[in-house]
Amino acid sequence: MFGLRASVMKSAIIVPTMFSQQTRNTFILRRRWPPPLHKKGGKVPKMKGRHFVYDLVEDTSVKKKPDIRIVLNQFVEGVGTTGDVLTLHLNKAYENFILPGLAVYANPENLEKYKTYEKRPLEENTHSSPFVKRTMDCLHRLVLRVTMSNSEPWTLQPWHLKASFRKSGFVVPESAIEMPPVQIKGPDPNLLDKEFYVTVTINKKEKVHVRCRIYHWAAGQEQLPFEESYWKKPKQPLIPEQAEVLQKFPYQNE
Amino acid sequence: MASSRLQVTARQLSKTFKKKGRFEIGIASELPPAYKKFWREWKVLKPAAVHFVPQEGKWKRDELTGETYPIQNIPIPLKFPAEINEGIWGGEAVVKGFQKRDDRRRRVPHYWVPVLKRTVVRSEVLNTHLSVTVTDRTISLINDHYGFDHYLLKTPACDLVSVLALKLKKQILTELMNGCPRHAYDPKKQMEIYEEYKTYLSSYTPEEIEWYGLTWYEALSKVAKLKEAANKPIPLKNVYRKNLVEKLKSAGIESKSSSADEISATTSWLSKMNPFGKKDEA
Repeated sequence: MFGLRASVMKSAIIVPTMFSQQTRNTFILRRRWPPPLHKKGGKVPKMKGRHFVYDLVEDTSVKKKPDIRIVLNQFVEGVGTTGDVLTLHLNKAYENFILPGLAVYANPENLEKYKTYEKRPLEENTHSSPFVKRTMDCLHRLVLRVTMSNSEPWTLQPWHLKASFRKSGFVVPESAIEMPPVQIKGPDPNLLDKEFYVTVTINKKEKVHVRCRIYHWAAGQEQLPFEESYWKKPKQPLIPEQAEVLQKFPYQNE
Repeated sequence: MASSRLQVTARQLSKTFKKKGRFEIGIASELPPAYKKFWREWKVLKPAAVHFVPQEGKWKRDELTGETYPIQNIPIPLKFPAEINEGIWGGEAVVKGFQKRDDRRRRVPHYWVPVLKRTVVRSEVLNTHLSVTVTDRTISLINDHYGFDHYLLKTPACDLVSVLALKLKKQILTELMNGCPRHAYDPKKQMEIYEEYKTYLSSYTPEEIEWYGLTWYEALSKVAKLKEAANKPIPLKNVYRKNLVEKLKSAGIESKSSSADEISATTSWLSKMNPFGKKDEA
């Protein structure tokens, strides 16, 4: 009897008294007062009210669950290519990859099945990097403002464009920029309401056209007024050969 | 026991008397062993411990006194609301009990209810997405089994609990037995899926699959239907006619002038009359 009471006291001390409000989670419970022992293979004794008093041992919804591993079974933009193994949070992996069928569970069979794709040479893959589509989209949307002098004569060079790209937040090497077929010279007021495009090569593979507009810059009083939302307004093509391509660019709506 | 020398008392009789089980009353006694197997898997087997941590081993020793006690894991009783059959709760259920929030206060009644959420599960074999009510435990079980189909097929009925899960399991098994007809548009994929899941078929016979996942009343009505179809009543007029023809044959009298063309050939209006036909037919 003493032993039993001691064990009861012990269990009562360990369990923290918390239950201040109702929470709806997966519960792991424990009897505060376990029922007495019964005969081997016999009936469980009739239980009293106190045998239904439970203490919360653990709440599994509060505990952090381990991440799960998945294998991509196709190219996913911004994530990876076939055969890439990802370690993700349970819900993200399930909802964003397993359910749409973009990935499968990383069990030994699937790892073996999609391993072959991993060894393929880079040329065979359709994309040079998982993030290249995103970069292409960003450049496609961009209306590049090329700031040139209003007083000094100039001829448009790749390094001008490189600097303009850098101002807009894109690091583009000069070698990746393909200039328009016609030389553009200035300052020239005719350039103001015109646009043209240059071609940027990403990772020596993907090519994307970028719209450019010349902006004449001058200090002090000669400064031209700033045009509000210039990227939303369509302009005339500077080079007639480029007109067809320029028509296909998207304009951000109001 | 039945020897005449033994004095049969009420006490002895009460010992020999065995209460009739579920499968020994009425039409239930005609349920096939295939259904009995499923019933055992569903209702008799002990489900896995979800809401408590079972103690390991057979014995434990009291640290203070050194006494040895047997370990008896008495499971926490669960409540199964009707809604459990419309979702897949992964073995979770409602626990009804008390909380002792303070040592100096009276215990208060409390229900521990699992958190339910509606999400989508993908079944490879059925080739569909399903919107079902689940718990977090279900999703982690699906992930642990590497897929919804594997989870359903590997888990015994006592852990699935819900009728919905059992019906889906039955449908998946039937689909596998027929060789995945839903993937017929892509024979390569069909073959792959069949190869992946065919191991589960080995533990069921076709009859067991047919009786799998039926509730008690569904099983009983199925038995009744089968029985009715087998013992379809034959109209007595057919029986009597057959008997009469046999009798006539045995007596050596040839049946004549009974064929239809002979009747039509006769001119007598009496033979053309059909007393059981409609008015205009007569």
